[in-house]
Amino acid sequence: MDTVRSTTLSAEQLAKSFSGTPIFVGVSFEAGAGLLAVAGPNGSGKTTLLKILAGLLSPSEGRVRVEREGRVLSGDERRLAVGWAGPDLELYGDLTGEENLRFFRKAAGFPAETGDIRARLEGVGLSPAAVTRPVDAYSTGMRQRLRLAFARLFDPPLLILDEPYSGLDTSGREIVRRVVADARARGGVILASNDERDFADAERRIDLVGAPLAGGRPAEGRTPA
Amino acid sequence: MSATSATSTAARIWAVCAKDATEELRNRVATLAVLFFAATALALTSYAIGPFGLAPEDRPPLQAALFWIILFFAAATGLPRAFVREEETGTALALRKTLPGALVLAGKALYNFGLFLAIAAVVIPGFLLLLDWRVAAPVTLAAVVVSGGFGLSVVSTFLSALTARAGQRNVLFVLVAFPLVLPLLLTAISGTLAATRGGASDAWTPLRVLIAYDGVASCAAYLLAEAAWED
Repeated sequence: MDTVRSTTLSAEQLAKSFSGTPIFVGVSFEAGAGLLAVAGPNGSGKTTLLKILAGLLSPSEGRVRVEREGRVLSGDERRLAVGWAGPDLELYGDLTGEENLRFFRKAAGFPAETGDIRARLEGVGLSPAAVTRPVDAYSTGMRQRLRLAFARLFDPPLLILDEPYSGLDTSGREIVRRVVADARARGGVILASNDERDFADAERRIDLVGAPLAGGRPAEGRTPA
Repeated sequence: MSATSATSTAARIWAVCAKDATEELRNRVATLAVLFFAATALALTSYAIGPFGLAPEDRPPLQAALFWIILFFAAATGLPRAFVREEETGTALALRKTLPGALVLAGKALYNFGLFLAIAAVVIPGFLLLLDWRVAAPVTLAAVVVSGGFGLSVVSTFLSALTARAGQRNVLFVLVAFPLVLPLLLTAISGTLAATRGGASDAWTPLRVLIAYDGVASCAAYLLAEAAWED
């Protein structure tokens, strides 16, 4: 069995609230190979949901499980099996792009050869000159590309991308499309965006309804067939 | 834990420590603040009480207390930034995505311990020169400084993780740190006094207490790291 493609993520009855205000409730789905789109208006909880899936936030209710060949992953295996990049992701501004990726590879216990690191950076369109500059000197688009390189740093079978096209030029958007296509071929991608065109060919989608109105019920996740 | 995984764990901890050191060497925010505080406190202390302002027999207790007060406040200027900086700059998420809280804490405590030793390397010669500090048992003093500094680094780093996301983090840090660090400082002062008076055997009891404190603080920090650092 292909261990990469057999890695699945399942969300069961997820709910999240901040200071007692529910953001969403009852979100359940399973993500495996292919593209899963997360749609919804601003404030519907897309970013929060993706952070929960990535293991960066705890849900108020429900649980997320990452399984490989029927075995539930935990610890480092769980952490590194799911790549994530989102608008909140910042890398070290005093370090260069190359130093950032080298640090995270070493911190995860992976080898960090210069050739491999540079190939990863070039893969997201960062030139050899750019990768030796401090990240503080990067433009918005260059930072977005670096986030993409971070998400793929440990070759995860599942990739979670939150607004990956944000701040990118035409060539940057093309790179994201290629990254998504590669990741879909290898395993699964969960992608959130405000632009429907970004996931027009998604295999599945979740619609987060939106923030609850006063006295109304909280947002729900729907997973149309 | 196998030898390979122990080596890998050590390498991961070292990566965090080296990253913090590289960042600090480039922006020097903590180093400059800490060294400026230590130098100012030393200069003011030497001006106020100097080597001749007190009778020789009155000096050791006051010098031992001042030594640790300066070390503590100089360290308190820089050590709590370990996790606060990660939260403020938004890099905490990338770190959480890469390694468990216990390893992050260990790497940062190691870096903070190095910073503490650098502070001590400035303060000790300053004391010897400006306050006419006589240390009868230098090796014992070194052991007290190392063991006291290690405990201070571990506790400060853990509390930094605990308070990094709090609104009033600076006030919270001081309030939580005070009861935890007080026994360490009192014991370190006692050990330092024994070292300056030359009673290596007198220093043995405080030294054992410091080592025990270091062990307990390290175990507690390790066990609670995930709860303090993760969401």
